[in-house]
Amino acid sequence: MQLDLLLAAFGKVMLDPMNFLFVFVGVTSGIIVGALPGLTATMGVALLIPFTFGLDPVRGLLMLLGLFSGGIYGGSISAILLGVPGTPSAAATALDGHIMAKRGLAGKAIGMATIASFFGGTTGALIMTFLSPQIAKIALKFGPPEFFALAFFGLGIIITVSGKSILKGLISGIFGLMITTIGFDPLSGSPRLTFGSVELLGGITFIPALIGLFGYSQVFQGIEKILTLPTVKSELKNILPKFREIRETFKTMVKSALMGTFIGAVPGTGCDIAAFVSYGEARRSSKTPEKFGTGILEGVAAPEVGNNAATGGAMIPMLTLGVPGDAVTAVLMGALTIHNLQPGPLLFRDHPEVVYPIFAGMILAQFVMLGVGLGGVRFFASIINIDRRVLTPIIFLLCVVGSYVMRFSFFDVAVSLIIGIIAYFMNYYGFPGSPILLALILGPMVEQNMRRSLMISHGDPLIFITRPISAAFIGIGLFVMITSYFRIRKAMQREGEEGARAEKEKVD
Amino acid sequence: MKRQDIGVGVGLLLLSTWLFWYVGRYKGKEIYGYGPDFFPRVLAVMMAILAVGLILQARAGHSLKMGERIDPKGFVRMLICIAICIGYLFLTTLLGFAAATFVFLFTLMTFLRQKGMLVRILSSVATSLTVWAIFRYFLIIPLPEGLLF
Repeated sequence: MQLDLLLAAFGKVMLDPMNFLFVFVGVTSGIIVGALPGLTATMGVALLIPFTFGLDPVRGLLMLLGLFSGGIYGGSISAILLGVPGTPSAAATALDGHIMAKRGLAGKAIGMATIASFFGGTTGALIMTFLSPQIAKIALKFGPPEFFALAFFGLGIIITVSGKSILKGLISGIFGLMITTIGFDPLSGSPRLTFGSVELLGGITFIPALIGLFGYSQVFQGIEKILTLPTVKSELKNILPKFREIRETFKTMVKSALMGTFIGAVPGTGCDIAAFVSYGEARRSSKTPEKFGTGILEGVAAPEVGNNAATGGAMIPMLTLGVPGDAVTAVLMGALTIHNLQPGPLLFRDHPEVVYPIFAGMILAQFVMLGVGLGGVRFFASIINIDRRVLTPIIFLLCVVGSYVMRFSFFDVAVSLIIGIIAYFMNYYGFPGSPILLALILGPMVEQNMRRSLMISHGDPLIFITRPISAAFIGIGLFVMITSYFRIRKAMQREGEEGARAEKEKVD
Repeated sequence: MKRQDIGVGVGLLLLSTWLFWYVGRYKGKEIYGYGPDFFPRVLAVMMAILAVGLILQARAGHSLKMGERIDPKGFVRMLICIAICIGYLFLTTLLGFAAATFVFLFTLMTFLRQKGMLVRILSSVATSLTVWAIFRYFLIIPLPEGLLF
């Protein structure tokens, strides 16, 4: 790390109004793309790349980095307002954010999501700037057992997102893992559970499943209750979270930022896993875990810090090793090569004039995102005040379009509708949707790496606990699962006792 | 939710039994003993254990209390909306995205008893044109085309 070059790059990027403009265009486009269900940050970056061909590489990259950050943040807006996560990484934000919106606190939830995204994104970018080589070295030590252990740790979060019944949460999780087995077997390549359907060969695509679980199910419930539900008006005055409220979540934000950056830095993971792990850990370590899922600011802050911190994390292996951290950075890597820049260790030596501005640009993007986000809070919050009889059909339309555009497939729309109907019934029978989503994200990683590891060890499962990183993740995973189980059970018992006491007092 | 939990538990038990049996046909394609049937079978066994747990829990009277119940009239309304959506999917290939979307939104709003005719027309036109323009001009993503646009 050459500090003089870094400072010069910061000066160059921050003080040039044109750079600011390119980042602004990128962030704003990202927020729009992210907020539209079905369109991911990956797709947004891929769509914007052709527009950067004629630009100076640094400016082109700044615009793409702005879109990356804005896209991850934008997903939270639709997750909070409509209950439909714009991007997979915002699914955990919907758990508390949408409930806050239903209580008329949409502005506060979006305000917190914006501040948390800024905090997470900036921390991730700073860690990327100063610790890239060190983190990349650890991330490169990951083999199949380590990836399996990381996925196992991630699946442990199912317990914390299970709601009132851990058993039902686990059933949802296993059901989600079962869904991931549809399609080509990742190792042998033979079709599995496709029943002769060509469309199913690629498996159940993630985005339609996400929209079905969180979008259609919400829409269906909304339609069912449309004539009976009371109208909610969103508060439009004093809507930003107070300093005291931000301070109360600060510890969670710091923890989520560190976890998010590290998870993002592991190739093959990404912002969605970081968001769920951050949410799960925030709930597990909370003194009042029973309040998560009822619409609290901490439940919005944790996943938003986590997923935005992972953006910086995902850049680390891409820049230092030439290995993309997630899908978006894979596309960004393509953009770098288009500009004749080969990511990897030599990039730092051969093109410092590009690498250091990237660090500065990532931080600038967070400030622009904060400005655009906070500036738009009132407008975003007012969306929820639109008459439900108008808004519900529009959300329905966004779900249809979102599930269609990923592969331009009506089959995906049908799959999404079916998953939505299943999720609608699951809501009534107490089966949470989030474990399914977590399983859909982690399922392929679990299966491939479990089988690969067992092949390497000739069937000896001890391979998972004899390698230090793998053993550490499995140990932490088990610790998280056991402590979460007891804490949540205790919280539920406390809630049950309080409910019974209140009922008794009512009768008396 | 005792009855519902037992019903779901039995259903899941049947599903896991079927899955365990069905994926047996993928045997013989394995590499070092871990073929395409391995992971689904592990999941089937886990699901069966959890399903039995759910049934036992329900029989012991530890099921959660049923919260909200499905409103029969609302449920029918939901089914009709799904039917309208299926009709919309066919209409997009016939009329094109923007025109079919207008019809879809207007029909849904009318069905959901939105009273103001002007609100229905304006919001349907504005939404369908905005979404169409975003995809066509900003994102440059093709949407279904038909007789109109």
